[in-house]
Amino acid sequence: MIETWGLARFGAAVLGLSIAGAALAAEPPDFTGVWGNYRAPGAAAPQRGAAQAPLPLRADAKAKVDAYHALVDPIGDSPGGHCLGTGMPGSMLGSGGYPMEIVQHDNIILVVFEAHAEIRRIYLGERAKAEDLFPDRNGYSFGRWEGDKLIVETTHLKEAVDQGRYPHSENARVVEEYSLVTNDDGTKVLTSKMTMTDPEFYTQPITAEKKWQLQPGVRLLPYECNEPAWEEHLERLRQGQSDG
Amino acid sequence: MRKSTSRLWAIALALAPVAAFAHHSAIRFDLTIRDNMVTGIVKEFEAANPHTKIVLEVTDAKGTRDIEYEGHSRNNYYRAGWREGMVKVGDKITLIAAPTRDGSDGGYALGVIAADGTKF
Repeated sequence: MIETWGLARFGAAVLGLSIAGAALAAEPPDFTGVWGNYRAPGAAAPQRGAAQAPLPLRADAKAKVDAYHALVDPIGDSPGGHCLGTGMPGSMLGSGGYPMEIVQHDNIILVVFEAHAEIRRIYLGERAKAEDLFPDRNGYSFGRWEGDKLIVETTHLKEAVDQGRYPHSENARVVEEYSLVTNDDGTKVLTSKMTMTDPEFYTQPITAEKKWQLQPGVRLLPYECNEPAWEEHLERLRQGQSDG
Repeated sequence: MRKSTSRLWAIALALAPVAAFAHHSAIRFDLTIRDNMVTGIVKEFEAANPHTKIVLEVTDAKGTRDIEYEGHSRNNYYRAGWREGMVKVGDKITLIAAPTRDGSDGGYALGVIAADGTKF
């Protein structure tokens, strides 16, 4: 009886440890903080205009993208030049080289990009009903933890031929896998492996990888962009002129 | 202090290839030319996003006139050491300005040397 009781206590203890261990293992990593582009120690500064491999665009999609570039490239125009946020996947893949801040909660992860104060929300927990969603430049992102990896699916994007690297249709679906490691020198590095599936625009899925490093002590700066345009508008109003 | 300013200057130039083109193709400017210095009197300095507007009264072989330059974003200038009030109307400043491709007036201010010698 004593042996049985002892075994039972031992079993309970093992079970308790297992549950505690499982709880610890289930604790997701914390991505909270300000992140900047990762640069490996000793690596050269990234240069603008690095050649990009041709995209496997379908003919009609390529025609759309080419028409867009024929329109804006000669004058060097871009959405950002007009204070418009980048949108997915460009926002996560670069955002103009500006830092981003991640604020992590149990039910939502906020990604605040300094550029244009653009915000991306990654919902965890309950997924919104499809009828409650509408297209957006950053789409609707829903995430889940798989161990220490965060898997994020983004849908409900707007068609975006103005994406710098990866233009896409409104039916594009982006899946990202985020993981966090700490280098030997103590640098925390966040990696995203992205796959964009968009049969309307591409003949095959697009993949990309992006790395950031935690920037302790860095704060995001305000990024007011439309103020000069507003002041010019006010000035025209003062002078009795219309914008029309 | 001197060393600190030099470091900021170095950081600013190092950041320039990425930061300067965050929002603009800058197709008007020849960004391969990174040592063109222009000195003038500040008529306007509007640190703004996505790009800063700088108007200088410049005197050169073509005469004296106001020339408008485009510069990095306010946020990038801030991180390179610029602070509010550092550049005022009437100041004599120098720009490290990538010139226009067609040779017309203007350029892209890769860096600024303020009246007190501060570089950003």
